[in-house]
Amino acid sequence: MTVDELRAKAAERQQTCSQIKKMIVSRLDLEVDPDWITDDQPLFGRGLELDSLDVLELYVAIEAEFGVALYDSEMAVFGSISRLADEVDPRLGATA
Amino acid sequence: MTLTHPEDTVYGQVGDATVPLRFGDLSAEYKVLRERAVALDLSGHTLIEISGPAAVDFAQRVLARDVEYLTSERCMMSLVLDDDGRVVDQVLAFGREDGLLLESSVGAGARLLEHLRAVGDEGVEIADRSADLTVIGLEGPYAWGVVGRLIDGELASLPFEAVSDTVWNDVEIIFARTGFTGEYGYQMIVPVESAADLWLATLEHVTPAGQEALELAMLEVRQPIPRLETAGDVNVIEIGANWLVDVTKDEFVGKEAVLAAFESRQGRRTVGFSGGDTVPEPGARVLAGGEDIGEVVFAVRSVGLGTTLGLARVEAGLAAAGLELTVEGAGVTTLTSPYIVPKSWSIPII
Repeated sequence: MTVDELRAKAAERQQTCSQIKKMIVSRLDLEVDPDWITDDQPLFGRGLELDSLDVLELYVAIEAEFGVALYDSEMAVFGSISRLADEVDPRLGATA
Repeated sequence: MTLTHPEDTVYGQVGDATVPLRFGDLSAEYKVLRERAVALDLSGHTLIEISGPAAVDFAQRVLARDVEYLTSERCMMSLVLDDDGRVVDQVLAFGREDGLLLESSVGAGARLLEHLRAVGDEGVEIADRSADLTVIGLEGPYAWGVVGRLIDGELASLPFEAVSDTVWNDVEIIFARTGFTGEYGYQMIVPVESAADLWLATLEHVTPAGQEALELAMLEVRQPIPRLETAGDVNVIEIGANWLVDVTKDEFVGKEAVLAAFESRQGRRTVGFSGGDTVPEPGARVLAGGEDIGEVVFAVRSVGLGTTLGLARVEAGLAAAGLELTVEGAGVTTLTSPYIVPKSWSIPII
């Protein structure tokens, strides 16, 4: 791929990640600029420090925003914003 | 070195500390860390006591996260920054009755101590406690079981970053649920004179792992490794350690510089990559479609992935997972974090 094609591909993922960050900040009423959250940032425990109640809220929010039901998924899908992006948009498909 | 180790232990100089890099085979130590549990000699982490009437105000000013209400039952990981927003160190801050106890990253104690003393206030006492306290760690999906056999099963289920002052073998220790690798993790801060006994007692239940296995597992979950990621003229945003900085806090050393870097939207960003048969050196160029877009921060041979795993710092518009790039002629792929899913995420503490 050319560098411009790679930039376009990266922009697609970054846009999905940005959408997820805005959703999380809005639904969980976090006092942080969505852009402050990095794509690789852990969501639970360390990192964004979300808890199991937040997960329930996120399940609902993700289904409403992206039409993807993650209720039966393993916790690994919340491993980072970018990992969540892979789940809500499988076309991105970069999970190792 | 507080603890004694087998003769064939391989040591290395990391900053101001000499630490065990591996006790035997790196691959075996890593696998035990990810599959069972290991003991960690964290004596290369310096313990610094902040006390005095202005201790909390001082800590609030020098730590990038909010520690104003950090009780003696909690600890918190935070960056310490200089005025230019560069990382001085990544610390674990323990709330104490009369102030805080800061645990440096490996080999960074002298640098951290120098910085704290340089920005010290009246009414604050800063004391290096390394001569009388040291740290032993436990990490792994079954580390909680070791805690139960070693000290008390109830301690194993402490919430993340909870702290308990407890007693082991008539010795007062500070016990904390922590973790660097995504696995269940615990730390025991113990008087130096009792450290060898606690270490040997721990080894009755688990085998030890060295700094190499620990750092490999940290990299796999994007836990920042300050000594490898903060060299050179890089800021927090470029490192991607935003989560260790609380920009909603009123004031702290380095805040203005960090906000300026964030709002400028300039600079590079860090992304993980894997691939290639060789391990590139830090600074190796990263190419996208033949164009130079940045450099390797550091890379290692990943036991879990069976290939090279590293971090690259590249132009922001290309810091995303799923891209095919080139490093030293070898094709690599940028990754989504975590690069290895910790087993602890699917194992409850029972």
